[in-house]
Amino acid sequence: MTGRDIFLVSNSVDELGGVTSWSHQMARLLTERGHRVHVIGITTPDDPHDLGELPYPTTRLYDGQPPGPGRARDASMRERATVLTGLFRAARPGAVVIVTQVWAMEWVKLADTAGLTVIGMSHESFEASKRSSRFQRVLRHYRDVDRMLVLTREDADLWIGAGLNNASFLPNAVPWLPDEPSPRTGKAVVSIGRLSDEKGVDMLLDTWSEVAPRHPDWALKVYGSGEDEEILRKQCTALGLDDSVVWMGRTGDVPGALRGGSVFALSSRSEGFPLALMEAMAMGVPCAAFDCAPGVHEIVHDGEDGLLAAPGNTGELARKLDLLMSDAGLRERMGEAARENIRRYGAREIAERWEALFAFLER
Amino acid sequence: MNGVKVDADQRASISDVAVPGVAMSVVVIVYNDEARLSTAVRSVLEQTLRGVEVVIVDDHSTDGSYEVARRLAAEHPDRVRAYRLPENSGGCGAPRNHGILKARGDYVLFLDSDDVLERDACRNFLDAAETTGADLVSGMCVRVHVDSRHRKEVKWYPWLYARTRTLDSIAELPDLLVYDTLSTNKCYRREFLVDSGLDFPVGIHYEDLLFSARAYTAARRITLIPNRVYDWNVAEKAGTKSISNRRAEIANFAHRMEIHRRVDALLAEKGLTELKFRKDVKFLKHDLVLHLRDLPFRDAAYRQEFAALARTYLASIDPAAYDEVEPIHAICAYLLRVSDWDNLLPAVDTLTNRDKVSAPLAERDGRVYWCAEHIDEDPFARRILDVTALGYHARPVGKLFLRNELTEYRHEAGSGAVRLAGRVTNPLGVVPPGARLTAELEFYARRQGVRLQTFRFPVATVRHEGAHVSWGASADLTKGLRPLGIVDAVWDVRLHLDVDGERTTTRLTAARSGLASGEVPVRPRLTRLVADRIEPQVSARGHLAFRLVPDKKANAVVTRGLQGAPGRLAKTGYRKAKALRKKATSGDTKLRIYHELFLRMPVQKRLVVFESHLGRQYSDSPRAIYEEMRRQGLDFEAVWSYTGSPKGFPADATPVRRWSLPYLRALARAEYWIDNQSYPLKLTKRPGTTYIQTWHGSALKRMGFDEPGWKLKSRPEQAEQQRSLDRFDHFLVRSEHDVRTLARAFRLREKALLRVGYPRNDELVRARESAERPPLAAELGIPADKKVLLYAPTFRQHGGRRFELPFDVERFAEEFGDRYVLLVRAHYLNHVVLPPSVRGRVIDVSDHHDVTPLLALADALITDYSSVMFDYALLDRPMLFFPYDYEEYVHTGRGTYFDLLERAPGPVVRTEDELTSLLEESSLEEQTVKYAAERERFVADFGEYDKGTAARDIVEEFFAEWRKA
Repeated sequence: MTGRDIFLVSNSVDELGGVTSWSHQMARLLTERGHRVHVIGITTPDDPHDLGELPYPTTRLYDGQPPGPGRARDASMRERATVLTGLFRAARPGAVVIVTQVWAMEWVKLADTAGLTVIGMSHESFEASKRSSRFQRVLRHYRDVDRMLVLTREDADLWIGAGLNNASFLPNAVPWLPDEPSPRTGKAVVSIGRLSDEKGVDMLLDTWSEVAPRHPDWALKVYGSGEDEEILRKQCTALGLDDSVVWMGRTGDVPGALRGGSVFALSSRSEGFPLALMEAMAMGVPCAAFDCAPGVHEIVHDGEDGLLAAPGNTGELARKLDLLMSDAGLRERMGEAARENIRRYGAREIAERWEALFAFLER
Repeated sequence: MNGVKVDADQRASISDVAVPGVAMSVVVIVYNDEARLSTAVRSVLEQTLRGVEVVIVDDHSTDGSYEVARRLAAEHPDRVRAYRLPENSGGCGAPRNHGILKARGDYVLFLDSDDVLERDACRNFLDAAETTGADLVSGMCVRVHVDSRHRKEVKWYPWLYARTRTLDSIAELPDLLVYDTLSTNKCYRREFLVDSGLDFPVGIHYEDLLFSARAYTAARRITLIPNRVYDWNVAEKAGTKSISNRRAEIANFAHRMEIHRRVDALLAEKGLTELKFRKDVKFLKHDLVLHLRDLPFRDAAYRQEFAALARTYLASIDPAAYDEVEPIHAICAYLLRVSDWDNLLPAVDTLTNRDKVSAPLAERDGRVYWCAEHIDEDPFARRILDVTALGYHARPVGKLFLRNELTEYRHEAGSGAVRLAGRVTNPLGVVPPGARLTAELEFYARRQGVRLQTFRFPVATVRHEGAHVSWGASADLTKGLRPLGIVDAVWDVRLHLDVDGERTTTRLTAARSGLASGEVPVRPRLTRLVADRIEPQVSARGHLAFRLVPDKKANAVVTRGLQGAPGRLAKTGYRKAKALRKKATSGDTKLRIYHELFLRMPVQKRLVVFESHLGRQYSDSPRAIYEEMRRQGLDFEAVWSYTGSPKGFPADATPVRRWSLPYLRALARAEYWIDNQSYPLKLTKRPGTTYIQTWHGSALKRMGFDEPGWKLKSRPEQAEQQRSLDRFDHFLVRSEHDVRTLARAFRLREKALLRVGYPRNDELVRARESAERPPLAAELGIPADKKVLLYAPTFRQHGGRRFELPFDVERFAEEFGDRYVLLVRAHYLNHVVLPPSVRGRVIDVSDHHDVTPLLALADALITDYSSVMFDYALLDRPMLFFPYDYEEYVHTGRGTYFDLLERAPGPVVRTEDELTSLLEESSLEEQTVKYAAERERFVADFGEYDKGTAARDIVEEFFAEWRKA
């Protein structure tokens, strides 16, 4: 069946963030394939991100934020859910509601979804959910959806073990597959990500302090900005790494950044299905990464198209970086393997899996 | 044979019926279960997967089951069909086979009329089957105890279903065939069933075992999913099995053996020897045990028939399988094989009560055996009955759980007294003939929370009788036992036996059925309305207990009361009180008391709290400082923290249990904290208290913030960790290596570092100068002409607390016992068992709190990575390194600060043979000379501040003013 009505419901339509970008990427993809997509956000941020011209409609349930938790929130939720009900009722048979974040599910739950397929998603690893309040909320609000989707089989199994018997998985798509890989000539290790505790750049600096002395002609290029920038720069100075670490700031040109390096490093404390890793692989840049989530070893086949280290073990990550930095042949082999292997997450492959899922849930 | 005949022509007609849209057929079988059938069927109709049909097959019920089935079919004509077998088949096989014939879906499932499917089961099955192309998909079954108070749920072999997994052959996961023998938690591709000719055997019980074995071995691909798919509703059986059931039980057992034989034949035919082996192992530790447990309560005729059946089958079990099960499983199977009932029946007691010693045991040639019989004539018996590794011989009587067989129970009708007698097993003569023996009986309520009172009765006679200690007592229960009534209906009994003042506690095993009976009058304190008599019963573990005999009519009234409003009120009151008590003693409350009450009290001058290794020991530098303070006669008040028992702690200090209120109060008020590891992390230290952290060893392995686990913590968690480290006002270091590693890893301030060395090592520096052997040698019974080797490996996590020595200790004693005495010291969190054969030549010194005197005694040290190497080096005696698992230890762990193989100040051996030949070829004197330079450099690198005056220096710096004038 082609041409379904598909609603993508997120916390917000126009904020900066992984899940929102994912929603728009999906919306675009599904629209191109002939579906009628409608992107819905619950709130509107104070400084909405300019989305430009979109090929699909969007709806925001609130102009700003909903009232704080309490009776007023409950009343407003019921009232706004009728907006959703209106949209859902007008949908043609075979329509699908994809709730990308569990918070948004609290509104969808109050709407009338009779006759529609409802899919709930969690975009982080099971362990990451487990450490946050989202764990209980996912268990509660997604209990009765037709399918609850996480990013990997491993995460789905863990959710099933926690009692969510409708859990399954669908990985994210890599946003682009460039024709030209990185030349892999720049003697630089690249890291791209927010400068926040979660991304573990502090551990990357510790790692770098073990590697840098052996490779004086290499640089570590740290792309990104964030609340930890000052602390991290101080740490860098304290470790005596100012000569070899370059703070690149935030970039809008990820392929360009990757063209400037030959190795990619990911040192996060937690991840879901890291986009940065997929982008580096798509550019043919081999990765050394902390295996901090199922999504990481789902993407990287250790020893084949990249190298993994036990989370937090900076000594091991340093050894893995050292391997790649010391051996151009290895970089070449792994980089090419990465470029080839990452194609399994190509946009078309992933879109087809979504369509197959919609059909499956109708059987 | 009754049941349905599966004709050849019927089978041929199967393939024409695939109906589009029907993905799954669920075959629901029913026999005389009209009440529950529709619930089962509804669980199928309400599946999230819509394309599911129901095929009901009635095994010729005599109740209205078939009518219910037909009604359901009429209500859902396109989804439910009902069939009835022409006559009753007496099993599950025939109706399921019929269902397979009638199924139209691409996949087939089986459901029993008293069970239900989980609502996503079919969708999850289909998803997995279509994704992997498996012939068979299996999911998790959950046993639901429908009669239990909270519908208790037990997952069926959950370890098999921890994650999604696809097998191309059952050989990849033998445990699946061996353990999950159900046919109902699975989804089969219908064509696979038909093409493989799979059906259930008819006319025999345990048909699932054979069917699933055939399905597993025939499937070209099997997928396991972690999803709950099937609820197996278990109704508790009323009462225990009666003797009249004996025939049925024997028949059942015969069926079980027959099915096992057929499965074995199938595995043999397919060449699946590994599966057969795993199945043998399971038979020994599971199937056989189920039947053995009942054996003491069966008569001789039953035992004979049972043994005859079991023995034939046991003969087909691979002898190697005995090595894969726990010793007691192997022992029971062996004793059954040789029909040694006298030894088997007590052994079954250990099968039920795992830690119990139920046999007198026998020592022969330095090994310990379960019994003295068989071992001389049969080498196999010698292997099976060897229980040396269990370490019974190394335990004092107080640490043994001994079998106490009730031999007499006499109650004169109408009297309140019960005469009891029994005999306690005395393994290896652990109770010596001349021992002072006393005993008492104790009665206590089984239900926890109402254990407010226990009742004791004296035991008049206790007599040593060699392999047993016999006892006899008369207990006047009417007078001496006063239950409350209602809340404490069941009373357990134990006998405390005091052997020269050491107490061992036993339970009374009623070894024969019908031994204890008769009602005894009692006077419950609350009300006599419900019960005024007590009668003996045997618990599930075979122990004597007593139960208040309920008065039916009165009981109904009280039960109604308990379930009604007043009872509810009383119960919630009770629960609230219990919750309150739990809260009052919880960690959070204690922390609050510490911070809000104790910390507000003034500092008590000259109060010092000492702790070593979280209170587990009186040892290490805190002890050395404490003893120096005492030696100098300082005026101060000492408090020592302990965990477990205060035994071994100094008499001139106040002992406080770690985490108790007195402990917290002492910490809050102390002027000094002196510890070698850490006081509870959440306790804040006030500025008026000075914390001297002595630490407990230089580091080879990465520590603190150099460990991956610490690095991974989030910033707030790291900050919290740092706060607890910042409590250290002073941190002792032995070398600049400590400064570069420990101090940096704990992010300590430079001014906190005390470069004085370890007080515990003062003794070693002194011992280096002395040629005399310390008195400990005599205490351990070490002859003067033998050298002492100390084996001190580091802590190992895997394999539980038991530490397996990486060399054959008997061989070692054999080869070197004439020259050396080997002391074995496991890390304080591990423990070892040595066979009696090495007595006097190898000595377990793991329970010595303090390692320092052992180091001072040893003429040479053998270690792997333990930090004792840094301390022992101070003695300038030979050191041997035996890092047999170096790669694993270094690379899979958190990493090391330096390469031990490069810097070890002595020879490094990697295997037992290398160790043996090193000791054979080179004397300790040669070692001393050969590695002198290496040892000197090692001490300079890792112990430069250990000058032998650390304790004195610390007293001088902090406590000089406390000297008595």
